[in-house]
This record gives sequence, structure tokens and C-alpha cells, in this order.
Amino acid sequence: MSWVGSRVKRVEDPALLKGEGRFVDDIHLPGMLLAAVVRSPFAHARIAGIDASAALAIPGVHAVVTHADLPEAFRQPLPLLVPNPAIRYPVMQHVLAKDAVHFVGEAIALVLADDRYIAEDGVDLVVVDYEPLPAASDFRKAAAAGAPAAHAGRADNIAAEFAVGYGEADQAFARAAHIFKEELFQHRGAAHPMECRAMLAHQDTLTGTLTIWANTQAPHQLRDVYCRMTGAADDRVRVIAPNTGGGFGSKVQTYPEHIATAAAALLTKLPVKYIEDRREHFLSTHQERDQLWTVEIAVDGDGKVLGVRGSLMHDSGAYLPWGVITPFISATTMPGPYVIPAYRMKVTCVFTNKVATTPVRGAGRPQAAFAMERLMDRVARELGLDPAEVRRRNYVPADRMPYAVGLTFRDGSPVVYDSGDYPACQQLALDRAGYDGFRAEQASVRAEGRYLGIGIGSYIEGTGLGPFEGATVQVTPGGQILARVGSSDQGQGHRTMFAQIVADRLGVGPDKVTVTVGDSGGVAYGIGTFASRVAVNAGSSAHVAAGKVREKAIKIASHLLEAAEEDLDLGDGRVFVKGVPAVGKTLGEIAAFANGMPGFSMPAGITVGLEDTSYFTPQRSTYANGCHVAVVEVDVETGGVKILRYVTAHDCGTIINTMMVEGQVAGGVVHGIGNALFEWMRYDDDGQPLTVNFGEYLLPLATETPCIEQAHMQTPTPLNPLGVKGAGEGGTIPAAAAIAGAIDDALRPFGVKITQVPVTPEYLLDLIHKKS
Amino acid sequence: MHPFTLDRPRDLAAALALRAQAGRNDAPAEYIAGGTDMVQLLQEYVRQPERLVSLAGLLDNRIEIGPQGLRLGVAATMAEVAADPAVVEQFPLISEALLNSASPQVRNQATMGGNLLQRTRCPYFRDVGYAACNKRAPGSGCAAIGGENRWHAVLGTSDDCIATNPSDLAVALVALDAAVEIRGAGGSRSLPLVDFHRLPAATPHIETVLEPGEVIAAITVPASSAARRSHYLKVRDRASFEFAVVSAAVALEMDGARIRQARIALGGVGTKPWRVPRVEAALAGASLEPQSLRQAAALAAENAHGRGHNDFKIELMQRAIVRAVEIAGARA
Repeated sequence: MSWVGSRVKRVEDPALLKGEGRFVDDIHLPGMLLAAVVRSPFAHARIAGIDASAALAIPGVHAVVTHADLPEAFRQPLPLLVPNPAIRYPVMQHVLAKDAVHFVGEAIALVLADDRYIAEDGVDLVVVDYEPLPAASDFRKAAAAGAPAAHAGRADNIAAEFAVGYGEADQAFARAAHIFKEELFQHRGAAHPMECRAMLAHQDTLTGTLTIWANTQAPHQLRDVYCRMTGAADDRVRVIAPNTGGGFGSKVQTYPEHIATAAAALLTKLPVKYIEDRREHFLSTHQERDQLWTVEIAVDGDGKVLGVRGSLMHDSGAYLPWGVITPFISATTMPGPYVIPAYRMKVTCVFTNKVATTPVRGAGRPQAAFAMERLMDRVARELGLDPAEVRRRNYVPADRMPYAVGLTFRDGSPVVYDSGDYPACQQLALDRAGYDGFRAEQASVRAEGRYLGIGIGSYIEGTGLGPFEGATVQVTPGGQILARVGSSDQGQGHRTMFAQIVADRLGVGPDKVTVTVGDSGGVAYGIGTFASRVAVNAGSSAHVAAGKVREKAIKIASHLLEAAEEDLDLGDGRVFVKGVPAVGKTLGEIAAFANGMPGFSMPAGITVGLEDTSYFTPQRSTYANGCHVAVVEVDVETGGVKILRYVTAHDCGTIINTMMVEGQVAGGVVHGIGNALFEWMRYDDDGQPLTVNFGEYLLPLATETPCIEQAHMQTPTPLNPLGVKGAGEGGTIPAAAAIAGAIDDALRPFGVKITQVPVTPEYLLDLIHKKS
Repeated sequence: MHPFTLDRPRDLAAALALRAQAGRNDAPAEYIAGGTDMVQLLQEYVRQPERLVSLAGLLDNRIEIGPQGLRLGVAATMAEVAADPAVVEQFPLISEALLNSASPQVRNQATMGGNLLQRTRCPYFRDVGYAACNKRAPGSGCAAIGGENRWHAVLGTSDDCIATNPSDLAVALVALDAAVEIRGAGGSRSLPLVDFHRLPAATPHIETVLEPGEVIAAITVPASSAARRSHYLKVRDRASFEFAVVSAAVALEMDGARIRQARIALGGVGTKPWRVPRVEAALAGASLEPQSLRQAAALAAENAHGRGHNDFKIELMQRAIVRAVEIAGARA
């Protein structure tokens, strides 16, 4: 049997359920100092001076570290990791604010003390002399001429401008039977993992090695940024990501606080820990926030799309830590699962005095799906067609795979949908949802004054982005099978997944494979856990490395057993002679041989150690796809929306563990429900954040979450040996689109059209009021 | 959180004396009971007392029902009251309002007294990053009036404050003509709950009529046949663990198909729990026909004043009244 494809229980869970998980805050080092951060209360201000003397006078405060106190290598901005020629002004945040602050919550100083209580008392006594400056808050206003500059001295707030597209869009519009235009405001809030950011830095005085424990999604990136800034050698810095309570994109980034905490450890020669609290998370951890789409669609008389064009404005926040990645993904995802003969999208990124925006689960794709699906619904409405039929007429048909869209993706490779059957996936979702029978139900309850609606959200997702991820598989003389994988886990169950993959190759159960993840000391190079890329990249690496170990085990056994390799088989942790299972060698025995004996030469052709390290490098992204169907009831008197049913059909290629994929999809949908109806990070005109706790910033709870009914398709991709595609974000991508479509459908008697998410009760009541 | 001293007095008299020493505003001493609201306020630096006086174990937590009605010891938890069989049977409005509040964890910890005294959810009040909040810093102004005010009140507001009272329980109790027993060093007094919270006027930082050194000892609710035919309708952004956008507590005495007497209070729209006597008067003798309910409900909006983002509440609260009356009226 194959472990890949089985519902293997997560190896991570027993420890987590018993409270034996080890998160950064569970690590206590002797002499450790606790840090609290002095953060800007202003969205935009000059810093005229800092007086830390009162804080330093508190017993238990060891140091106050400001920009001026940092070693020279740390007195610089963080590097722009993903440059792009479209960026006009690559402004990056300093490790600690130098002479100005550009968002509420920007880190200015660390107070280091014996405990967090004392450190926070110290923060209260650090006197910062601010000279407040006008702030750019709403990105639409900030983009206009004459708006307050987010960065003093700049003529405008345009951070970057670029366009993507192909074909002759304007010609397509000139010959179109119908053209429909929409202006769509989309807000996505932030990621909000259960565990806020956490980090602990310690330089070992014996070896000089700096170790940083951080709940990061990208331990190697954190190491590399640190080394790039300070000139430290790779092997002097080790980053370990222990148990981590969620990330959803927010923990991919190397933050100024990471580098500042490391600097503080160097300065004090003591371990320094910083644990972010939730309010700080609302202020200082990256968000995704606002986009404004102005889009047009051209169709022929049958609703076949001729072209799409428009413009997209994106709120970048105060800095560009990941360049223009999010809006770039948005713009290149817009064509979605459809044949769009001509496409052009102009993108404008706007600086505001708010915390930077970087990818959150879906990474700009939910907005693209929302824009495209709203246009599809509009076409259906205007032409009197069923929304499912309009989509059916425009899907990329299965026989056109692989399908080259005509765009270049963020990694520079062409956007090519490698595999999948989009119409069949839609049909699967419609059948599961009982789409054809819904209209009768809708009509009957409408007679009772109830408003039910059904909506469809189709999507594609470029997953498994390169360049690589690494895995080492090793067998010890004791027979233990070890797998070290560079990428880190935030709760997804990566260790279970890798154990399944390795177990299949080595003929053992997953319980026999011990997996280590998230340690830059375990695998030399790594990229990170994001872009639904770990199964594709690291999974394939584990598969390849375990396969090499298998080959090597058979080769060595062939030598030991004096049998031809083709006469040997591997199973149950042994290599044995086919047909004579009693004659064989265990993997441990083979490993002991491969590890050599003192003074004896290795046999010809046999290399040292029963192990292999592989770095799988995909040639380009593989495209997952799916279709969601939402059924909602709208209370037209209160503006309340209740999701009655939610059905997903998706195709992430080969499924490694159905149970974990279902967990990912369900969690993703809940994230999307938050985007559709609840999550709104509000700021006032001065750039002051208003929703800085979960009382005001609403996450969906169990009461807002219907049972997520899931159907799976498996179209293996030819682009990696496992045939897998990413599954971590697809649940989120079409959710807001499907829910908005369902609300529209429910309110057809009023002629209401949703052009904003999240959909708040007052927004709905206003739309209904204007139409009735 | 600012450092403070925690006092754990042995009896109520000592607790009252400790608090009475302090002044009324910017009190250097504050009471803490369940702590579900106070601890948040401390953590966010909204309250910065020098001393916290614990009331744990000093106050009555009994739930008693007799021919006169209901008496709730002020230290009874939200969960205890909500689940009390006699409350569920005879005062379902109270149980409904409580179960629609907060989360199970909070309800296990929070007390009756703390619920009535919880502070507003106005984000400007709760974030010391804003200088302007007359409730937190008297005389500093009101950032909500010209700011993001979709959460704010449309009734009972002043030019100095438009914050809502967030309690669901208080809305239900006001509808049921509840009273509070207040105890101080000088003795006890009782007054209708509807008179307990003050309008903000020019002093929004003074939210109740409690004098320094006084505590609520108990809540009493008179027996009434209306108490059973009731409904607490809570319109909110999320179906659990969320404060009301608008709520309506309705208790009806019916005379056949007609309303003999209606008692109605609103939440989420007033600067205090908001009774609507004009609506009640219009409903007396009315049928449950939608038209007459709408006409009566419209009277709730007579002095309502939106500030932009919260304008929608004026219509929404009328609809909430209509629906709550319909639901209560349909109950046996």
C-alpha cells in the first residue's frame, strides 16, 4: 500500500494536545532578558530626540537600545528582497527608526529588562520628542496630487507603476457586443495567526554562533538577511523555527524586530527574547488591506469573453519589504480559469502611513478572483444567462492543457496552466450543492419573505513556486530514518506529510521516520513556507532524496549479499532477495556498512553514508484550481448574512493526506468568510488604527462557519515527481467572490450589486434602501 | 499596565472605606470583581489606578425568586444567572440577553455588577493612542463625533460624547423595570435601573449615579406577567461573542390579539440602556399588524441623531423593535 494518499493521523498532534508543544516563548535561557518595544503613536512624525534616562533608572532595566545605540552594521534599512524595475522609490524600514516614523507602531527602541513587566514600565518612561507630520491614510486620497506625502520630501505617494497584459485589448473592446464596467473596493485585513510574532536571540560565547529561535515561515531567509546586513558568515548564524501557531503569510517576512533583537543580544552579550502582544500585532505585523479595481469586460452576444482591461490601485503601506509582489500576483491572476483573448491591467502602488502590506493567505489572488467573478456575474445578469453557464462558456477546456495564458508570472516564467479540468470541477461543485434544484427552493422561500441566494467562485492558483527547497534523508546504523527539511511548519502538518513520502520510498511506516523541519542548521539552503509551495518543493525533494537512499541501500545490499540489484527488493525496513525474504539486510545494517570501518577502504562505487540531500527545482508554478458554491440567506431588514451551505470542489493534483488537505481547505474558506463579511482593519484620516483588538476586528467564529462540504479531483501535474499542487490557499481565494455572488443572487428582487468586501450590514442596508 | 497595589479587604465595609477615600474621577482606587472588563482596561492603559480593591467573596451571589419577583446578588456570574431554571422559566428575557452576550468563558467569570458597570466599546475610548476622549480624559474632546462612528449612539448623545453603553443585560433589565440596591458606608438605597446610568451631557466620564465608596449590592426585578412573553433581539455583526449593533428587549402583556402593555428597551443605539415610553404608549391597545407596529416603532427615532457612519442605526432600531414585538407576540 502507499502512504501517500492515506488519511494518516498527524504526528504533530499528540504533543500539541498534551500541552507539550514547544513554542518560542517556552524557551528559557539562563540570564535571558525580555524586550519590550517603544513604538510610534504617530502615523508620520520626525523624531527630534530620545531620552531614555528615566527608563534606565528603573531597577531591572539593563539597556535601552535605539538606532544610535546599534552597532554600525545594524544602522541601516532592511534589504528589499524582491526588487522590481517598476519600483520608483524602494524605501525600506530601518531596524530601529532613525529620524522619522512612518506608521503607528513603527519600532523606535527596545527596552531590555529582567522581565517583561519591568521592560514595559521602561517603555512608558522612554521620552521620544516627536514632531508630527501630515499623514497619508486612505490610499485613494494618498494617490491624488497634492496629498500629504507619506515620506517627507517626496513629490507624490506613487511607489510603483506597471502594467501586465497580452493581446489587443482595445481592439477587442471596439468590436464587443457588450461592455460592462465595475469599480470594486476590496479590503482584506490581515493574517491574524493565533500566535503573534516571537523571537529569541543568543550568541554562544564559546563558538560565537548566533542562534535565533523565531516563529518564522522562512528561517533561511531570516538567516540570509541577517548575514547580508552584517557580513556574518552563513555558518555563524542559525535560525530555528520551533512549534509555531500559524502564519498565513504574515511570518514569511524578516521584520526589523528580528534584527533588532539579534543586535540587542550582541550588545548585552545575553539572550534576548521578544514576544509580540496582540495589540502590537495589529499595529506592526504586515497586513494585506486595500485594493481598488476599476475593470471592464468585453463579451460577444453569447457571453463569450473577448477581453478584459482596467486598473488596480494597491495600498503598499509605508514600506516595500516584498516590493510589488502582492499586486503583481493580483494582476497576473485576474484571467483566472477562463479563456481571455486579450487582457491589460495597469497597476499603481501607493505609499500610505500604515504598516506595510505583504502577502496574506491567497496573496492578492482572492481580490483577482473577486474582480473576475464579479464581472462574470455581471455578464450573466445583463445577458439573462445562468452564472454557471456563463462560466462554462468561458472556461479553459481540458483539451487545451497545457494552456499558456500569455502572461509572465512573478518568477519570470510564463503563466502556463499545466493540467486540470475546470468545467468538470465546476460540475462537481454544482452537483454537490444541488445547484439545479436550488431555484425552486429559492422561489418557494421567497414567497415567505425570505431571501436565499447561490453564488459561484471559480479560481486558479499558481502554486509551488520555485526556486527550490531542500531535504536530507539519512539512515543511521541504529536503523533510525531521519529526514531534515529546511522549510518550517506553522501547524500544517509538514512532518506528517514528509514522513508519508519518505515511508513510501523506504518501505516502512511513517511512524518509523523522524522528521525535523525549520532549522537552517539542518539543511544548508532554503526559501520558506509560502505560496502553497512546500509539498511541491520540499515534498519532491524528500521524495527524490528518499529514492536515492533506496537505490543506495539496494546497491550496498547487492554488495553485501552478493546478489544482483535487480534480484533485490526493499520492504519493512529491509533489503532482501526476491522470493527469499529471510536473506536480507536491515537498513540499519546497510547504514553501518556505509558509515565505514576504521582503516578499511570503501568498496569501489560506494559512497559514504546511507543518506542523500536533494534540492528539487520546479521549472515553473503548477496550477491548482477549484470551484466554490455558497448558499446564503440575507435578512433584508437587518442586513445580516447567514451562510447556509458552502461547497468546495478543488484539484490540487495528487493528494498526499486527504485529512490534512480537507483541514487546509476548510481553514482557507473560513479565512475567506472573514474577508467576505467581517475582517476590517480600520484607520482614521490621520492613519491611526481603530480596530486593534478582537472585540472590534471581527474574525469569523464557529457560529459564522457552516459545515464546509468538500469534493476532490486529482489531476496530477507533470511538473514534479509526486504530481502534487499546493493546497494551502485555495480555500480562501474564491470565497469572497462566491459569497458576494450569493448575496447578489438573494437580493435580485432589489437589483442590488455587491461591489465591496467585506459586506457589512450597513453597506447592504444602504444598497437595498437605494434600490427600493 | 501600570503598577498597582491589589487590596483584598476582609469584608465589604473595609472595601467601601478604601474606595471612599478616593475622589470620584481619575480615582486612584478602583474596584475589581470578575475583572473581564477591568483587566482589559488595565492592559490597554485606559484605567491606571494606583490601587485595585478586590470585591471577590465580599458580595452576595445568590439568585432568589419569590412572589415579589427576582433578586440577583450582584456577584452572581452571567453564566449562573443565564442557566438558573427559575430565571429561564419566569424571566427568559434576562437569560436570553445574557446568552447573547460575550462568550461562555467570559460569562463564567463576569458578574452582574461588572456587567452593568462595563465601559463602552468606543475604540477611541479604548485606545490611549487617541488623545481626544472626554470619557477617558475629561475636556480632551471627542474623536468619534467626526471620526469612524458606525459603532456609536444615536440617542442620548451630547456634543461631548456619543459612546454607547454595551451591556445587553442592562437593556433587558431596564425593559423589566428592574431596580438596583446600592450600598455605601452610610447605608443602602434603591433606585430604578433606568435612572442608574447617566446621560453623557458635559460629563461623559461620570457614567452612573454611584458615589465614591458605593457598590451595587443586588438587582431586583418585579414579578410581572409580561416578563414571560418577551424577546431579546440582538442585531450584530457576528453571531456570537460580539456586542450589539442594535438590540431590542421587548416584554408584552397581551389582551387576546391586542397588546395591553408593552415594555421596550433598546441597546446599541443609546448612550445608556434606552427605554422608549412613547413607543410603548403607542402600542398599548394596538394589534400586532405590521403597519401599527411600524408606526409605533417610528416614535423611537424622534430624537435620534446620526453622525454619518451610524445613520443606518436609526432605521435599523425601528425594524428591530417591530421584529422583536412580532416574535414576542407570537409566543404563547
